[in-house]
Amino acid sequence: MVFKAIIVALIATCCTWWFSHSITRTWLYPIWSGFLVGLVMGQPLQGMMIAAAINLPYVGFITAGGSMPGNPMFAGPVGTALALVSGMDIATATTIGVILGSVAVLSWNAYMSINALWVHAADKYLAAGNIKMVRVCNYLPSFFVSLILNGLPALLIVLVGKSFGDWLMTFPQWIMDLFAIAGGILPALGIGMLLNYLGKKKIVPFFFLGFALAEFMGLSTMMITAIGAIVAILLYNFQGDQSKKVGA
Amino acid sequence: MAELKKSDLVKNWLLGYSGETCYNYERLQGLGNTNAFVPIIRALYPKEQQAEELKKYLIFFNTEPSWMGTVIHGITAAMEEKRANGADITADEIISVRSALMGPMAGIGDVVSQSIAYPILAGVCIQLALAGNFAGPILFEVIYKVLMLTLGYNMYMMGYKRGKAAIIEMLQTGLINRILEAVSIVGLMVVGSMTVGNVKLDLSFLDFTWTNELGAVTLNIQTGVFDSLLPGLLPLGTVLGVWALLKKRVKPMTVILFCFGLALVLVGIKAIMGAY
Repeated sequence: MVFKAIIVALIATCCTWWFSHSITRTWLYPIWSGFLVGLVMGQPLQGMMIAAAINLPYVGFITAGGSMPGNPMFAGPVGTALALVSGMDIATATTIGVILGSVAVLSWNAYMSINALWVHAADKYLAAGNIKMVRVCNYLPSFFVSLILNGLPALLIVLVGKSFGDWLMTFPQWIMDLFAIAGGILPALGIGMLLNYLGKKKIVPFFFLGFALAEFMGLSTMMITAIGAIVAILLYNFQGDQSKKVGA
Repeated sequence: MAELKKSDLVKNWLLGYSGETCYNYERLQGLGNTNAFVPIIRALYPKEQQAEELKKYLIFFNTEPSWMGTVIHGITAAMEEKRANGADITADEIISVRSALMGPMAGIGDVVSQSIAYPILAGVCIQLALAGNFAGPILFEVIYKVLMLTLGYNMYMMGYKRGKAAIIEMLQTGLINRILEAVSIVGLMVVGSMTVGNVKLDLSFLDFTWTNELGAVTLNIQTGVFDSLLPGLLPLGTVLGVWALLKKRVKPMTVILFCFGLALVLVGIKAIMGAY
């Protein structure tokens, strides 16, 4: 268990300490980071489903300039680990994930603030002509910051999270219902955020088209993606024709 | 004459992916970019000049670093090569080209990576994963990385070969925006479909029975009212409600509190109905 806990802690560390986006870019998202945690903990199927549920409210997650409306890099691995050791159901996992992700905005802010120190160290090394140490400053210190802020909580969750689950079981039914109902509502946040980014007036009807195809005709998301791609290509082609005419 | 080899360019492109390893509020990707440009500077300048040349990267810099913004590094590498060979390009010129491009490339790159590619992929893959299909996370990882690295590499090389003209052309013709708008449609349809089955608001606990002289009358608010009006009305309404809040610039964190508030009200109603 200790070995598993250490690996999970390292995964949680690298979800924030992006040593190379060629690897870690997808670790921002619970569907992948939580799945990795599930694999390590020997429960890939359950871990994958919990990770996907935790990812739902973060479907519209967009960061710009380092500001975050939540912290899925913490919620993904730590939430999945917690749900697995404490035997949580999927709707509750979504809620716990959102709570973890909201609180952990603080640890993200701490990470982004503390790391400025290493930039100042790099300034000094570069002034002294020591390029090698500049590179060390880029990689090494932020690893330890993330290890403390993200890895350590993940380690503790795997080791002692089960007692949290037992404690959760002693909650009255109405609190458990509250978590489950909130878990059903919170995915609306991810969808709403994306609507807010993409939803220019003239293309918003496509949101309702996607809804209608799924609700009234029972099509899967994969099928709707394919239909959407065809519609997008057609519209792009016709748009192109129009602008050519105007130009000519 | 100092020339950049293909391997120098590939190193520069790949090290660009460590641009956010020491991500921080003060200079964001500045330190990461300094690290990424070490191979370029080492290949072009004599040893005693290298640290000085690197200083132009250890400044505030932020763009979308993985999908589209790699073009800026490509453009810079080409400028460094010309500068090292005696062209009249000052360090300040390189800095100003980079800072002029970082905003537009952040805008386009964030739309491509975070509001189109990610939600479409996540939307499809989450549904697969929730259904117990391992293709969910695996497809997400593989497709995301293939798209990211292919685009990132080609943008970098385009920047290197054609310089800033390449990107300015793209920005001016509006071609990018037309493509993005078309692809946004797929994103909207995917999240529209995600409303079904993922957002759950069920009032079936509101189940009333009246007795009069004709017998018992029962009414279930969920099946008798909302489902017969329009199936999925409540989840759709919830999403539109969240959107309305966000449009009014309510913070996502506040919306989360609203969600818990709504859940609390529902539990309260359940309690009044005698569920506990």
